[in-house]
Amino acid sequence: MISRLRTSQKILYYSLLVLLAVIILFPIYYMIIISLKLPRDIYRKPSLLPIGATAQNYVELLTKQGFLLNLGNSLLVAILATTVAVAISCLAAYSLVRLKYRGRDWIARLILFSYLTPASLLFIPLSIIIAQLKLGNSLQGLIFVYLAFSTPLSTWMLMGFFRSIPLDLEEQAMVDGANRMQALTKIILPLSVPGLIAVSVFTFTGAWNELLLALIFITSPDKRTVPVAIQYLITGDVFRWGLIMAASVIAAVPVMVLYYLAQRFVVQGLSAGAVKG
Amino acid sequence: MAQQQLVQKTKASPHSSAARRRTSTFGYLLVAPVVICLLVLVVYPFAFAIWISFTDRVIGRPGQFVGLANFAYLFGQPSFQATVRNTIVLVVAVQVLKLFASMGIALLLNQPIRARQFWRSLILLPWAMPAFVAYMIWKLLYDPLGGAFNMILIGSGLSGAHIDFLGTKELAMPSVIIATFWRGFPFWVISFLAALQNVSLELYETAALDGANAWQRFRHITLPSIRHVVLVVVLLSTIWTTNGFENIWLLTQGGPSDATMTFPVLAYFGLQSLRIGEASAVSVAMLPIFTFLALIVAKLLQEE
Repeated sequence: MISRLRTSQKILYYSLLVLLAVIILFPIYYMIIISLKLPRDIYRKPSLLPIGATAQNYVELLTKQGFLLNLGNSLLVAILATTVAVAISCLAAYSLVRLKYRGRDWIARLILFSYLTPASLLFIPLSIIIAQLKLGNSLQGLIFVYLAFSTPLSTWMLMGFFRSIPLDLEEQAMVDGANRMQALTKIILPLSVPGLIAVSVFTFTGAWNELLLALIFITSPDKRTVPVAIQYLITGDVFRWGLIMAASVIAAVPVMVLYYLAQRFVVQGLSAGAVKG
Repeated sequence: MAQQQLVQKTKASPHSSAARRRTSTFGYLLVAPVVICLLVLVVYPFAFAIWISFTDRVIGRPGQFVGLANFAYLFGQPSFQATVRNTIVLVVAVQVLKLFASMGIALLLNQPIRARQFWRSLILLPWAMPAFVAYMIWKLLYDPLGGAFNMILIGSGLSGAHIDFLGTKELAMPSVIIATFWRGFPFWVISFLAALQNVSLELYETAALDGANAWQRFRHITLPSIRHVVLVVVLLSTIWTTNGFENIWLLTQGGPSDATMTFPVLAYFGLQSLRIGEASAVSVAMLPIFTFLALIVAKLLQEE
């Protein structure tokens, strides 16, 4: 019934799709061509085509602006935040799904409400707490704070994935002499690889993309992460668009590739954790 | 589900009370790192934020309890009133746009079109890039001098002069709305699409035999089947959009003259001015709406 389209429908559908593609791709195209232009070409010879394309912005960014250091900071923060968040979330999700104890439902509720609590409500008290813990202006402080936003989502999603694994498999292993920890590492985790990938992608990109808290906590130039460093390419009203777009391309490419490769798991993760519960 | 399974399991193989105690100690142990993190980084700051909003705290001085003075002061400020108005306008406009456009796009992508996988990957792009990159690109697109929109408008003769989209009072909010929509709609499309694929085809076939037209099929089969997902997505995204910082901060910083000021940016400016009590009151003023939304989402997410 819905397997064939009439010609008129086809024309309508494909024109809508092309329009959609233009809306999505044009801003990305523009980012790329501006990243390849020098200021004189951006302002004096305005064009939608990559006229006078040069890699000079990228060269300046990486050699003169210290952008490599910012990339290193972001990578370090994102990798460590992901490792810690995913590790402790696995333990918590397993505990909440498979073990029985008092207060378990309350802990699950705490995790859900933490997931729903927005950063804009917490950044002011967090800035005081981080200062009191002497973690201000440090990458460790940033990693620690990011756990507030990554662990609730990771735990919640992993709970969805763990729940879908049949209990029998674990029981069988435990009859064969495995303990709980082995059941988790040998049975549950290998079967939850799609979930682990989804959760890692969300946590990594969450930390890589974060602007507000990094803007507040990081004060010295050598500790700036990529989103903060891009802010400092703007001086007053002067936007050095070539440099800013080159930095944007470098910042966007890794996470976009990650999403593309992990697409299937990301979508699965959304329906397992965030949307369906 | 899991709970039922556990109950069945304990019934089937009765454990000794010592074994059960071991299990529960082990359970607490495994969940402890996450619980401690959340107590320190979410619960305590949450309560702390509420407390600070009732004090005249500034940086370097804890301040004293002043009751509702901060709130009374805020509510009398024109910039706060503008913030309330702007946040409502922005969120309602963006969410309505996302709802209709994303539903349409999801239905379109659910048709037997060629290269469906390609189109689905394409849709992900605005959402897959960092928000700060997306909004920097839109800031550039809107730029009066180097921006593509002005280039197109002037080049095609539609406009004789450079338009300052983000710097004009009337245009700033619509411009922010469009950029926020562009960044946010993929999440909706992907979620709707996943839900659409779970709708039973048999229902459509039966309906087609009964002579139902496309609108009737959508109204009576599609919509009821994906209602739950739509509701969760709308509410979750409303929480996120209300609390969005990057879009406003990168595009307009709340300007021109508060025309696009929203809660998170106003609170950020409050923190920068070191008047922490007032800044906290800005965040806390959002709390009733946030709590209301969060309670509904939590209920929906716990239903299975």
